[in-house]
Amino acid sequence: MATVEVTGLQKRYQDFLALDGVSLKAKTGQLISLLGPSGCGKSTTLRCLAGFLEPNGGDILVDGESIVSTPANRRGFGVVFQDYALFPHMTVAENVGYGLRLKRLPKGEIATRVYDVMKLVRLDGLDRRLPKEISGGQQQRVALARALVLQPRLLLLDEPLANLDARLRDEVRWLIRDVQQQSGITAFYVTHDQSEAMAMSDMVAVMKAGRVAQFATPREIYQKPTERYVADFTGEANFLPVSQVTGTGEGSYRIVVAGTDLEVTGVPDIPIGWDAELLLRPESLSLVAPDAGTFRGRVTKSAFLGAALHCEITLDDGDVLRLAADPNEQVSAEGKVGVAIDRSHAWLMPKVAP
Amino acid sequence: MTSSATTFANQRSVSFGFALLIVVLYIFLLAPLVAIVGSSFTQSLLIEFPPKGLSLRWYVEFFSRHDLVSGLIMSLRIGMITAIVTTVIAVMAGLAGRTLRGRLSGWFQVGMALPLLVPELLTAVGLLFFLYEIDLGKTVVGLQMGHILMSFPYAYVSISAALRQVPSSLEEASASMGATGWQTFRLVILPLVMPGVAMGAIFAFINSFDLYTISLLLKPLGGNTLPLALFDFLTYEFKPTAAAAATISIVLSLIGVALVQKLVGLQRAF
Ligand SMILES: Nc1ncnc2c1ncn2[C@@H]1O[C@H](COP(=O)(O)OP(=O)(O)O)[C@@H](O)[C@H]1O
Ligand SMILES: [Mg+2]
Repeated sequence: MATVEVTGLQKRYQDFLALDGVSLKAKTGQLISLLGPSGCGKSTTLRCLAGFLEPNGGDILVDGESIVSTPANRRGFGVVFQDYALFPHMTVAENVGYGLRLKRLPKGEIATRVYDVMKLVRLDGLDRRLPKEISGGQQQRVALARALVLQPRLLLLDEPLANLDARLRDEVRWLIRDVQQQSGITAFYVTHDQSEAMAMSDMVAVMKAGRVAQFATPREIYQKPTERYVADFTGEANFLPVSQVTGTGEGSYRIVVAGTDLEVTGVPDIPIGWDAELLLRPESLSLVAPDAGTFRGRVTKSAFLGAALHCEITLDDGDVLRLAADPNEQVSAEGKVGVAIDRSHAWLMPKVAP
Repeated sequence: MTSSATTFANQRSVSFGFALLIVVLYIFLLAPLVAIVGSSFTQSLLIEFPPKGLSLRWYVEFFSRHDLVSGLIMSLRIGMITAIVTTVIAVMAGLAGRTLRGRLSGWFQVGMALPLLVPELLTAVGLLFFLYEIDLGKTVVGLQMGHILMSFPYAYVSISAALRQVPSSLEEASASMGATGWQTFRLVILPLVMPGVAMGAIFAFINSFDLYTISLLLKPLGGNTLPLALFDFLTYEFKPTAAAAATISIVLSLIGVALVQKLVGLQRAF
């Protein structure tokens, strides 16, 4: 139960700047995802929060107080590691009770609290097993229980599902989210899986080479990305080059795209002359008759995927759009088609954030 | 050898050749031991194999000789202190070495193994001068220091290997749950590396028990370790007492190995 404010965090490994001014804000009870490709600095950020790394610059405020000089063992944060980091020589119950034992609580109280939290994460009955005697999903839940039993102010999770198979991943993901919401713990969650980040988080920080490219709600990240990198990382996307961008008000523009004049919304204050693109998510596009719709082109590829027919359409001026059409749509390779766009889902953004 | 490409017949001949090699190796390693142990039970007055008759007279002789027994006691005492001290230092050095990264870590490893790389005689001579300089020349303490120095790399190699097996995330997890560095060491790291520590201690002991050159140069006046006492003994008499002494050393080593087995076997993890 804490607010967290990270400002201008920097971390240098020898001569490599791994974090170059990371800023984030978490309200009490929020789950914040750090999303980005491998090597962009997610773990480094989390490890600075946990106190395993000392940042070279910037500050971390928890409930308004700087914690950068507090050692990890006095921060009172729960950490869940990608490799679980269970103590192999202790039973499940000993692992979960480890932090309580360090606090020298009476044996009886330790036992009840361990029992309660093990029930919460559905581990009842496994207390006497060793970590190597339980499955990966169960190990992950032990790691979670071990962090939760101390009622941490902040829960930090570094790719907690990366080593689980797809089915378990789903199960543990919802467990984590449920427990986090029930207990109202503020949490930071590192992942490189965009669907995981979208589904679980209150806020998503998309990271790019040691910086936060965008920090916003999952909806905004998906629908209103600040640059191509963010849009690319958060799902299927079409990008059309645009010309003659004129601003017509705060965040609205008149543009020419594929030979057509359009009024669209977009990232506010794109500098004049800046390289911009129109983002069209596949689901905002639909196939229509050749003379209806905004664009005209030919279907150059199609693949039947059961729930949808994935089509690739080459527009008259050579640009390519991918979209998901009705699975029973009859498409022929030669025939012209029209593409209608849902303009409320078209989004103008800079190729690279200014 | 389990590659599916190799044929059955091929596998057979490879594993037969391999088995033969192992057998030859064992014969080569064990023959002297068998000879010395066997000849210690002889009734005759000479070290010979196979022994002539069976008796324990040379063991009786060994334990009735003051010079040999006091050598044995000296060796045992120095060996035990060596084992304890090197183990403690090696654990500390291992913990320190583990935090180093890259080239520094490599140099650290080399530094810790240095007593193995420098010829024993050179170390002994250097140490002799040094010990005289600090007024410890020809004292038990000086000899003890020499043994610790020479045995340290054996303990270090075993212990640092065990420490490297412990992922650093365990330490971080422990810290995140409120543990101090000492608590993490005592509750997490030490139990996990205990087999390696025990092994290191026993290596150090056996090595110390065996040291000759350095003991010869550093030994206190009037004091002898068992190898020195035996050598003195063999200079004047070639009696099976020496074989009995050697057998006792072998038995001590075996006890050490059995101890390691037991300690390692008792570990729940790894
Ligand atoms: N201990 C280290 N020493 C040197 N470079 C490191 C170290 N840890 C991480 N890095 C580098 O810092 C960058 C960010 O790493 P990390 O935060 O682990 O990325 P992520 O978790 O997003 O995959 C990577 O390029 C990585 O190679
Ligand atoms: Mg990572």
